[in-house]
Amino acid sequence: MYATHYVKAKSLAEAAKLVASNPEAKVLAGGMTLVPTLKQRLAKPSHLVDIGALAELRGITAKGGSVTIGAATKHHEVATSAVVKKAIPALAYLAGLIGDPQVRNLGTIGGSVANNDPAADYPAAVLGLGATVVTNKRRIAADDYFQGLFTTALEEGEIITQLVFPVPKRAAYAKFPHPASGYAMTGVFVAQTADGIRVAVTGAGPGVFRWKAAESALGKSPKAAALEGAKLDASEMNEDIHATREYRANLVRVMAKRALAKL
Amino acid sequence: MRVEDARLVTGGGKFAADWNEPGQLYGQFVRSDRAHAEIVSVDTGAARRHAGVKAVFTGADAVRAGYVKAPHGLNFPGVNGMQTRAPDRPVLANGKVRFVGEALALVVADSPAAAADAAELVAIVYRDLPAVVSPEGALGKGAPQLHEGVVPGNLALETEAGDAAAVEAAFARAAHITRLKLEVSRVAPNPMEPRACLVRHDPADGSYLFHVCSQGITTLRKQISTYTAVPEDKIRFELGDVGGGFGQRTPAYPEYCALMIAAKETGRPVKWVSTRSEGFVSDTHGRANIIDGALALDREGRFLAMRLDWVNDMGAYVSPGSPGHIRNTTTCMTGVYRIPALYAHYRVVLTNTTPVSSYRGAGRPDIAYVVERLVSQAAAELDIDAAELRRRNFIPPEAFPYKTPTGSTYEYADLPGLLDEALRHADWKGFEKRRALSKKRGRLRGLGISTVIENTGAGQAPKDEVELELDAHGTVAVYTVSKAQGHSHETTLAMIVSDALEVPLESIEVRQCAPERAHLIGGHTGGSRTTVGAGSVCHLAALKLVEQGRALAALELGVEPSQVEYAKGVFRSSESRRSIRLGELARKGSVSVVAEGKFGSTFPNGCHIVEVDIDPETGATEIASYSTVDDCGKVINHTVVEGQLHGGIVQGAGQIFGEHIVYDPDTGQTLTGSFMDYCMPRAGMLREIRAEERPTPSKVSPLGVKGMGESGCTASLPALANAVMDALRPIAVPHLDMPLTPAKLWNAVHAARKGGSH
Repeated sequence: MYATHYVKAKSLAEAAKLVASNPEAKVLAGGMTLVPTLKQRLAKPSHLVDIGALAELRGITAKGGSVTIGAATKHHEVATSAVVKKAIPALAYLAGLIGDPQVRNLGTIGGSVANNDPAADYPAAVLGLGATVVTNKRRIAADDYFQGLFTTALEEGEIITQLVFPVPKRAAYAKFPHPASGYAMTGVFVAQTADGIRVAVTGAGPGVFRWKAAESALGKSPKAAALEGAKLDASEMNEDIHATREYRANLVRVMAKRALAKL
Repeated sequence: MRVEDARLVTGGGKFAADWNEPGQLYGQFVRSDRAHAEIVSVDTGAARRHAGVKAVFTGADAVRAGYVKAPHGLNFPGVNGMQTRAPDRPVLANGKVRFVGEALALVVADSPAAAADAAELVAIVYRDLPAVVSPEGALGKGAPQLHEGVVPGNLALETEAGDAAAVEAAFARAAHITRLKLEVSRVAPNPMEPRACLVRHDPADGSYLFHVCSQGITTLRKQISTYTAVPEDKIRFELGDVGGGFGQRTPAYPEYCALMIAAKETGRPVKWVSTRSEGFVSDTHGRANIIDGALALDREGRFLAMRLDWVNDMGAYVSPGSPGHIRNTTTCMTGVYRIPALYAHYRVVLTNTTPVSSYRGAGRPDIAYVVERLVSQAAAELDIDAAELRRRNFIPPEAFPYKTPTGSTYEYADLPGLLDEALRHADWKGFEKRRALSKKRGRLRGLGISTVIENTGAGQAPKDEVELELDAHGTVAVYTVSKAQGHSHETTLAMIVSDALEVPLESIEVRQCAPERAHLIGGHTGGSRTTVGAGSVCHLAALKLVEQGRALAALELGVEPSQVEYAKGVFRSSESRRSIRLGELARKGSVSVVAEGKFGSTFPNGCHIVEVDIDPETGATEIASYSTVDDCGKVINHTVVEGQLHGGIVQGAGQIFGEHIVYDPDTGQTLTGSFMDYCMPRAGMLREIRAEERPTPSKVSPLGVKGMGESGCTASLPALANAVMDALRPIAVPHLDMPLTPAKLWNAVHAARKGGSH
């Protein structure tokens, strides 16, 4: 990696100030994507502003029909949280599928959502549950937040502080892991919410997306058979050396069915 | 627990990167970022001026040093008198680069960070050339030429084995011919420990000291000497633990020789530690063979002849570790079968890719895969049970020692007995029931079998020597020039000596590649040879120590040696009341014996039976059961043998289901250069191996052992592939090449079902 300045932030305000005054600074949370990127000399930040240990960014609480998770909360904490397991078991289950034990004990929910890797698991839950992304500046609805491949509504220097998940009636996640990386080759999060069924897909396309044809089909009949005819354009899926568009489109349908079966 | 376990699992191992020398500098290689290009210029000025940089070396320095003639072992007679065309390979590329990752400059600085920063400042002007990464493409008319004038047509060697005319005649009268074109994919061995090397030059005597990850000093020393013309006695080693090898740690890499130049020129030791990313492109790859095969059978399903046409991709240069791809595939060409006529034709091709060398089995898994896939395919085509077709064609027990049509001689194997036990062990007969149950769950179940044999042991060393040194405490040091990379030499070799001397294991210390015993002769650890070779000599050395001790004890006891008896570390004589413990013989100085032996090939054999369940909706394969019956001769330590077997089987499973080096066909860039894209096997892939031993003592060595470090891999490649293809047979999926990824299997199932519906 290139030489850089490491700063362990003492508060969110200090972190925000450092990032605002150093345009080449990077926020470091769990570092699960950033550190490998640095080691490969693919990024050259002037500063690494570590927010991973900030108490104000950690913790899980349930109140008034929603679960709030601090941005620096580790995947392992979400996966094993009694609060999450009771309110949104599918979210705890999803967190337990991310990476491996080492990753789950370092990686953070805020880091994953800020990075918006097209094959990350958390974006499927955030979008599927219609969560709210809270930053040091504002609140952003999930539907407005994810904007495609590694792109989000976050502005320069904006830091995620919390994720607020409305508790659904029921929800389930089905994931087909990439054989090499363990990321989602395709993951489908299905949630029955107060506003109807939401189906969010990660891994298959250039970014997490809602499969709206499936949502409307399931709105009429919440059965697996309803998904058979739901329109899905394979040409919009990713294709690479690992899988064709058609395969990923198939996985979307199969994983959606499997998630539905778990509801 | 093995003897080495406590040290290794408590962080006490000392690996190549753990060595340091006072005053050392750090090297960073500048590597080609393109597959094929002329080097127009290399400007090292800015790098040299970077803070902390001591020197920068380039291809011109490599040529000036004369380090250009890479060693190779491809010494087979070619067709029509052709000789191997081995191109020069300056230890830093000069004039041209031929694969992504080829080292062309070495920056040496007083910190790794300074070296890495400065390496980015080396300005290279390239003139791009079209690249060819496909071996068949490289043989084609108009293909880019890697070594103009030296390797015409990119063909490094064309050779053959067997009897073409006999095969042709047999094919002409065959009732059935099974044909398969198969690829044994290119894989990255990926030992856990990244490569590292620290070289110190001593100007007083012109010697070089290496701390390096090695499979044994003798082969490496010889190859480095060949590459650099530095005499072997000026090349010294101090080695610690090695974290995996699989053949990839045997050869003399150009990087090591470039570090010699740097150490000599700077007058300081120079250390280089590879990253995993570097390793993916610069450590030698394995396998990479394409085989067009045909098996001729008569009306009764008896094998008449087999013909194989090989294209062996060697990458951009001929690596020193490559001969196994021809030697071992010829030696074991007939597999476990009596096939009267065999013919193999080989074309060794150079491509714009990372050089290929030995990888666990070095051709043995490749030939087993080809033969066993052909046999199972023939069984399916003729509607004969795959086990029955094998039995019908086995070399019968009475035919051993069996001279194969390609000139090797197999030692005894009880193949029908092995098969019977394996079929019972795996409940072969109950498969159809399990298939029906899987079908109910919407799964496709498949049954795969392989019956394999392979040559292990032997090697290029003229003999194996072992020295035992007894001290006054009764401790016996065992000196060998073989080197474990995870193999348990400290346990296995100690047990052999301990058994022969009848003394506790704790009194034996195995010392591998010790600098003060570097003169010992012997093979490196590779080709499953250490227990057969060095292990047998350990046994002989222990017996020799007893004999020498008997004479010394006789003097002390005042009797004739013939009157001295030895048991459990003590010499006694009925003529004397006194007894003498082994250690007492060394009171006035240690007692040493050197024993030697030369042992040929042993032939471990086995039968592996696998069941898989494929989820046709996702293409995911689950290994439902894995049963083995192996004859690896006499077993010294069951845990060690099981560990080798398990590791080999899972390594094979990795290749069948995921591992694959993929190049962009146009640019020659590696598309699978990290574990994000290169699929290593995970522990959960194969949850249980039901392994049975069925030992037949080998007569090749006094211990009765057979080399078995590679047999798991050799058997698992075909058994797993046969199981998957069997699962897909009901829906008429034609042969699929490894890796059998979920995406590939789904595509095949999807295409077959679509095809079947109209």
